[in-house]
Amino acid sequence: MASHSESIIREPLITGKDITYAKITNDILAPVERMPGRAWWIGFTVASLGACLWVFAVSWTFWYGIGEWGLNKTVGWAWDITGFVWWVGIGHAGTLISAILLLFRQNWRNSINRSAEAMTIFAVICAATYVVSHMGRPWLAYWPLPLPNQFGSIWVNFNSPLVWDVFAISTYFSVSLVFWYTGLLPDLASIRDRATGLRRKIYSFCSFGWTGSVKTWQRFETVCLILAGISTPLVLSVHTIVSMDFATSLEPGWHTTIFPPYFVAGAIFSGFAMVQTLLLVTRKVLGLENYITMFHIEAMNKIILLTGSIVGVAYLTEFFIAYYSGSEYEQYTFLNRFIGPYWWAGCMMYGCNVLMTQLMWFKKIRTSIPIAWVLSIVVNIGMWFERFVIIVTSLHRDFLPSSWAMFYPTWVDMSVFIGSIGLFFTMFLLFIRVFPSIAIAEVKLILKSSSEQAKKKILDHGGLDPEQVQFYKESLVTFDSVEIADYEKI
Amino acid sequence: MDSNKKYWKGLEELNKTPEFVEKNKHEFAEPIPIEDVLTGGGLAGTTPRRDFLKALGFGVGAVTLAACQKVPVHKSIPYLIKPEEVTPGVANYYVSTYEGSAILVKTREGRPIKIEGNPNDILAKGGLSGQAQASVLDLYDSNRLKNPMRDGSDYGWGQTDGFIKSELAAIKAGGKKIRIVSSTITSPSTLAVIADFITAFPNSKHISYDAVSYTGIIQANQNSFNKAVLPHYNFDKADVIVSFGADFLGTWISPTEFIRQYVQNRNNKSLQAKKMSRHIQFETGMSITGSNADVRILIKPSEEGIALVNLYNALSGTTLPGSKKLANNPNADKAIAIVAKELTAAKGKALVVAGSNDVATQVLVNAINSLLGSYGTTIDLDNPSHQYSGNDAELVEFTKEMSRGEVDAVFFLNANPVYDYYNSKDITEGLKKVRLKVSFADHMDETASACNIVAPNSYYLESWGDDNAIEGYYTIIQPAINPVYDTRQAEHSLMIWGNNPGKDYYTYIRNNWDKNLLAKGGLSGQKGWETLLQTGFVKATPVTSGTYTFGHDLNAVAQTILDHSNLLAADAGKVELQLYQTVAMRDGKRANNPWLQEMPDPVSKVTWDNFAAMSPSDMKKWGYADGDVIKIDANGYTISLPVLVQPGQTQGTISVAVGYGRTLSGPVGDNVGQNAYPFHSLRNGTFQTSAVATITATGNNSPLSQTQTHHSIEGRNSIIKEATFTEYLKNPSTGSGNESGHKDYNENNLFWQEYDHPQYNWVMAIDLNACTGCGACVVACSAENNVPVVGKAEVGRRREMHWIRIDRYYSFNDDGNGGVTRERELSKLEDLDNVRVVYQPMLCQHCDHAPCETVCPVLATVHSSEGLNHMAYNRCVGTRYCANNCPYKVRRFNWFNYWNDSRFENYLQNDHTLLVLNPDVVTRFRGVMEKCSMCIQRIQAGKLKAKIEKRAVKDGDIKVACQQTCPANAIVFGNANDPNSEVSKALKSERTYYVLEELNTQPGVGYQVKVRNISETEA
Repeated sequence: MASHSESIIREPLITGKDITYAKITNDILAPVERMPGRAWWIGFTVASLGACLWVFAVSWTFWYGIGEWGLNKTVGWAWDITGFVWWVGIGHAGTLISAILLLFRQNWRNSINRSAEAMTIFAVICAATYVVSHMGRPWLAYWPLPLPNQFGSIWVNFNSPLVWDVFAISTYFSVSLVFWYTGLLPDLASIRDRATGLRRKIYSFCSFGWTGSVKTWQRFETVCLILAGISTPLVLSVHTIVSMDFATSLEPGWHTTIFPPYFVAGAIFSGFAMVQTLLLVTRKVLGLENYITMFHIEAMNKIILLTGSIVGVAYLTEFFIAYYSGSEYEQYTFLNRFIGPYWWAGCMMYGCNVLMTQLMWFKKIRTSIPIAWVLSIVVNIGMWFERFVIIVTSLHRDFLPSSWAMFYPTWVDMSVFIGSIGLFFTMFLLFIRVFPSIAIAEVKLILKSSSEQAKKKILDHGGLDPEQVQFYKESLVTFDSVEIADYEKI
Repeated sequence: MDSNKKYWKGLEELNKTPEFVEKNKHEFAEPIPIEDVLTGGGLAGTTPRRDFLKALGFGVGAVTLAACQKVPVHKSIPYLIKPEEVTPGVANYYVSTYEGSAILVKTREGRPIKIEGNPNDILAKGGLSGQAQASVLDLYDSNRLKNPMRDGSDYGWGQTDGFIKSELAAIKAGGKKIRIVSSTITSPSTLAVIADFITAFPNSKHISYDAVSYTGIIQANQNSFNKAVLPHYNFDKADVIVSFGADFLGTWISPTEFIRQYVQNRNNKSLQAKKMSRHIQFETGMSITGSNADVRILIKPSEEGIALVNLYNALSGTTLPGSKKLANNPNADKAIAIVAKELTAAKGKALVVAGSNDVATQVLVNAINSLLGSYGTTIDLDNPSHQYSGNDAELVEFTKEMSRGEVDAVFFLNANPVYDYYNSKDITEGLKKVRLKVSFADHMDETASACNIVAPNSYYLESWGDDNAIEGYYTIIQPAINPVYDTRQAEHSLMIWGNNPGKDYYTYIRNNWDKNLLAKGGLSGQKGWETLLQTGFVKATPVTSGTYTFGHDLNAVAQTILDHSNLLAADAGKVELQLYQTVAMRDGKRANNPWLQEMPDPVSKVTWDNFAAMSPSDMKKWGYADGDVIKIDANGYTISLPVLVQPGQTQGTISVAVGYGRTLSGPVGDNVGQNAYPFHSLRNGTFQTSAVATITATGNNSPLSQTQTHHSIEGRNSIIKEATFTEYLKNPSTGSGNESGHKDYNENNLFWQEYDHPQYNWVMAIDLNACTGCGACVVACSAENNVPVVGKAEVGRRREMHWIRIDRYYSFNDDGNGGVTRERELSKLEDLDNVRVVYQPMLCQHCDHAPCETVCPVLATVHSSEGLNHMAYNRCVGTRYCANNCPYKVRRFNWFNYWNDSRFENYLQNDHTLLVLNPDVVTRFRGVMEKCSMCIQRIQAGKLKAKIEKRAVKDGDIKVACQQTCPANAIVFGNANDPNSEVSKALKSERTYYVLEELNTQPGVGYQVKVRNISETEA
């Protein structure tokens, strides 16, 4: 990622004038180094109230039993596993951004990978809480681990997708955490260097004695690359295995070979939507518009459009296969999504995920921050409903009509879910206070090559294809962090 | 020899240095800094390194030692003197009697824990109803009275006896009347005790009445044949059965016996002999009997009499005065013509029964049966049933006597007229004028609380007694446990109060049997008595059943019927109300039994409630939805009940069950539903079960808790398979999918290994044509396997815990196009009256390729080498994936800790009720999955018994609980490895199919196709 000159037709990844390395550090570390503002406190209060609700609702469940949820003899999973898959899906964007985009040398990832990875970790934590709390006897949650034990020669069932899931989630969580923390090291060192007193002590502990020597940097880059290599298959494997929680069953609506790619696409889809939801607010509140630019927003919207369309194709395939299979149970399940008692959930799923994301074909919509933000929320809602439809609408009317039943959530179901969102935001809000929300070191890497001022220098230098210059200028129109007036005279 | 040798430990000691002497004064040479630690410096004081190590050493040692302590052992106290017959861990069985049927009481360590049918019982041959199965729980009902009561406070037996004796002496002197009011008593010894009491107090009289009365039949037989008896019916001898509202498979007279008889002409054996009876049911509400009928014709209560008149006309070729066509029911008219033809063809093998309690109607039925030559074949008047002998008029007369102030003493024995008499105000008002009111109730029930003295009767499992349900069949009741509370048998009380010279009731019974009854079975003396206590009954040779011919004029009868029918015909805007009993609750005496409250009604699948059943078109017409509460007003009495759409309910009628709405039955039964008894009316000297009612919406909705809420099969014919009898005769494989040879879904063994079942392969066969859906298996399973009761709210949340359930599906006819079973098509159907019902017992299928087994992360559910699907509760962590992946949805999750959660304490948690638990089956903790284990404890017991006897397990050694109680013998269990076992033979039947066979789950439970005796063109 050397500081060679980049083609003018590429949009800048860092905007603003007079951006120096020092300014980058100052800008990004500002939220970490100053006292939190009112907006943060309000957000944190609301989020931590949500987290408290989560603690309360989960404790309630542990105390009285899973019966406090709305599940029944027919619908054994509902909001719990819906929430679990939803969170795991959201947790997908982080690793995709940090690993796959790193391997593909997508420099624009440098500005968003930190937050996305943090989000991943918090989302996986939320998902993992569901894994434990949905169990009938959560105090035995360690039993699905293949631990040597004194219960006799009891082992786990390696045939069970739930065991694969335990491996998948725990591997994913630990690798993501290591990757994220490794990336944090140089930035933590920056904070350490600027801090005093106790803060300095803490950050120097956290930065593992980072010296900034060439050798350190070299090793750092190598480790990152190796970790990216390790993470890359995980991006695909985790949700593949999560999808097998369903696909290996014989439940109509679950028993589908398309599930692995369909779930992975869906996960990336929802993950990017959540990144979008978070970063569109964060960049504004923390004043990071220069680092997370319209280019980033649009790029992510393009990924949302792509993955959303893949998901749409998967939906169509499912319907076709249901028809083509000739299996009456399969056919009924898919028909039931539209004409059954949960038709509204089906409409939310297909409407939000397929129809709404197709709006992203329009550049105007892709580059409109308010619309992009609303759409990202719509996608999150749609993806929640997708899991709800897959789980509840399939289960509630499967083979034997005598056992068909409805699922009605209780206040505990809702509180655990709302609470998990609170927990997520609590962790995210704490994260942006204590860690740099943008990878400082990595952004600095591209300042010389891909920033607006670097391009400006090239422009000023002249000698470029005017057509390309024109293209570049037009592309900047959509940027909210660029003063177009500066380019008028060129 | 003394030794003066001194040993010294060091030079210091030898030399007795001053330091040594000083130090040696203390136990420890160097002071231990305890003082320092506890006072002054405390923990802040400096601790020398050595002290630290000492403390550490001590700490580690102490903790290690403490950890070596075993988990405290709670020792169970062994018998100081072991009772001869009790071996801990081994069950004892005692013969006894439940409502006239010989039973076996299973006891463990002296506690009755299960009621099982006596295989030699002549009524049900080992089958038992749900009520009988549930009766064991009432023994441990902690709400039973624990001692005698006087005016609501405890009273000793001595005081009670003294008080009553002095009162009775005074009353005898006063000369006013003494009345003993009871429901039908079938015990010869009890009747003898009462007779002795009446001898002692000549102004007393025994009044017998039944909450659900059969006086009409008894009176009709008196009128027709001069025999005031309830006949004994032989459904097994009938080729054509026509029932007018008689729910003989559910609640009518002796349903368990009738199921056995009925199924004999419809089960696999009968079908293989190319024989199947035909059953036509005319009825108002959908009863379990109607749901099993081949043809079911809907009639209103007001049409029933006219239909019978028309049938009589068609059979006899005469026209009774007042005969008329059923103007609004052409279907019934048409059917009657066909039915008459079929009945005539089956003369001598035909049976017509009617559920009505109206004398005129029953006289007409007698006339019809006489025409058909049923007497002596399908109806036996010479060996009559004693099961119901109540006389409605006598009870009515009793209320009048009370109100006239003529009664000074009344004894209520197994009777609760304040609850179940139609005009209970007459009773309560009348009782105020009675000087001595004694109830023998074992609960402070509605009537007992209106009495001065309650002298609680012992429960039948604590009592000596006898029974005589059918002429010539005498059964014995022997106690299986000492009285749990300070109760005393009513007979004993009556003997004391009547100064009976007999020593106690046991001696009394023995004398009675020695003198009168043992001889009937060819027994005598002590040896005979001991034999009786092992066999349970004696059976006298039955009298040859005579033929009877009806020879009375029917004009007056027809006129009465017509008058009634006019009276019952509802005007526009009103509905005809029909009262019925549910299979679970019957007359409501066992309302406090949670197993029965939670047993789903066979047809409606409603638990914990009664309701107003209404036809789908009426629901639409009135604009009601399920659970809408309506006010029902009839015969000057009003209750509010939720409505439920009931396919097959006659339009313009509603049906309401009696037996609900108890107010003083105990915490379980109180205020469950509403009391419908007051809707009865007295007409023509008997209680009538129909009325004209006004219904109005209240605007409230009170959801009913049903265990099944989707009622059609959605065209999924791999779940339910049916054929008609004509099709069956052509090809016995019809409908089973075996027509063109059996398809092997496991042909290539692609992904699945076959399991080895080296010795046993436990499987089950269920004959859908035998199963009547009565639900006895559900209760038997709960009793055997400690299945928790969860209550109305939880059932409403679809969380009942039953390991076996009976799925009930409706299908609707659409002119011979195979039946409409899909929800979407149903909504387009105009006529939802023509409904057919099929029942399917559903339990764990013990699949060889079990979907639940592969998905469990912790191997909590695994396959056994005997073909069973095991569930290891201890290993289960509760992910519920197994339940999701079970295509049969038979797995049940413990959502709560039902055995130790105060919210469920009404049911089975108190110390007494816990005694009913089967010690061979653990109760399950919350968060654990459970399901049918094929009664693995019984399999194990059977195998052990065979091992002790050094032999192989024989077919029939092991019977699972559901199989054992099934009066229809619809369930066969056994070893598939044995080609000669019953189950292997049953599964070889051409009718056998497996539910959802195409999923290749390789279920261990085979079903046999439901066959209906209908011609293909028939409606």
